[in-house]
Amino acid sequence: MTDLIIILTLTALGYFAGSWAEKRHYHSIREREKQLLHLPAITMKDVPYPDEAVRSIHLVEGSAVISIDYFKRLLARLRNIFGGTVVSYESLLDRARCEALLRMKEMAPEAAIIVNVRIETSAIGKYSSKRNIGCIEALAYGTAIELKQQ
Amino acid sequence: MNFTPRLPSRNHNVTKISPLRELAVLLGGLLAVIVIVYLLLGLGADLLVSHLSPASEQKLASVLSSRFTDKTKPTSREKWLQGLVDTMEKNGCVDLPYPVTVHVADSTLVNAVALPGGQIMVFSGLLRIVRSENEMAFILGHELGHFKHRDHLRGLGRGLVFAFISTLLGSSDGSIARLAAKTVQVTESGFSREQEAAADAFGLQILNCVYGHVGGATDFFNHMPEKLDPGHIGHYFASHPENRKRIQALVRLERENNYRRGPLIPFTLSETEKFLK
Repeated sequence: MTDLIIILTLTALGYFAGSWAEKRHYHSIREREKQLLHLPAITMKDVPYPDEAVRSIHLVEGSAVISIDYFKRLLARLRNIFGGTVVSYESLLDRARCEALLRMKEMAPEAAIIVNVRIETSAIGKYSSKRNIGCIEALAYGTAIELKQQ
Repeated sequence: MNFTPRLPSRNHNVTKISPLRELAVLLGGLLAVIVIVYLLLGLGADLLVSHLSPASEQKLASVLSSRFTDKTKPTSREKWLQGLVDTMEKNGCVDLPYPVTVHVADSTLVNAVALPGGQIMVFSGLLRIVRSENEMAFILGHELGHFKHRDHLRGLGRGLVFAFISTLLGSSDGSIARLAAKTVQVTESGFSREQEAAADAFGLQILNCVYGHVGGATDFFNHMPEKLDPGHIGHYFASHPENRKRIQALVRLERENNYRRGPLIPFTLSETEKFLK
């Protein structure tokens, strides 16, 4: 009975705290995306500028680790039984990717463009405990190009 | 080539669905599946039970209730209870394919249970409440009724099915298994009520066969103090309205069969034996 109360409390906490955190995070993501809209991050390898216009080229990267909550985990476990789209993890991964991209852009405030952008994802602490409460990391990296003043 | 900076109109990577709705759909589906599987397996267990031979029942019982049987000497309480059962068998009131053994377990529980292999477990809390031999005989008769109708095995089959389901779910998530347990409990209690009623009728019949009257049959229900109500696990005292229904059913049976009530035989077990232990 005590176990059940603990689990229900954690699930409820996961739902309320998780939803609140997610809402706040998305709000912050949208705001920062607007601010950084002037800086394109593209997957092309070619630099669309002549060599003499380029002042510097350097690697930029951003990573974000987002943890799962009990409620999302419960939903995912239930999905494991029936199969289908694991909706509860979608926002988790999306937030991690968006955050990683934003942090990457924030690392290059002077850049004109970031090319060859790649995103990688990995699970952290997946096997660290029996409970299997993990988090995911998204890592975004690319090549930032700064141009000479014209 | 022109680069036009703009944000996407909506987030394509996240499905717009309320997580609570998702939970309701998944949980509802899971519970429905569990209930269906449980009912089907329960039905299967019921069918199997009717084909289980007394020999295989004994084999099954030796695994399950070995801790009750390895006791060497029966206590005087056990001897007295055993004597009651033996009298019933000697008088031809019960016809079971195997001998019935009565055990007493020291516990505050006011209950008695029929275990596989002809074992009746009487909890000592019950002995403190009982006031006459007739009353005790009715309770034993009730348990014998469970043996006669093979309810004890049916419960066993369902128990195994339930254990199977909870293990299956337990490996994935503990909280889901607990939820399933609750669901199963609800479906289960509806089932055992009919069995209890049938066992009651059998107990009444035995009481009449042994003593020539059915005095004391409903006494036990009245003697049970309210504070000792063992709750949903209670065999004889499920809940107040339930209990009243059972008394009514017994009285109706008594009238239908023209059973009469006679003098009761007071509890013969010595008071020291009864209360010291």
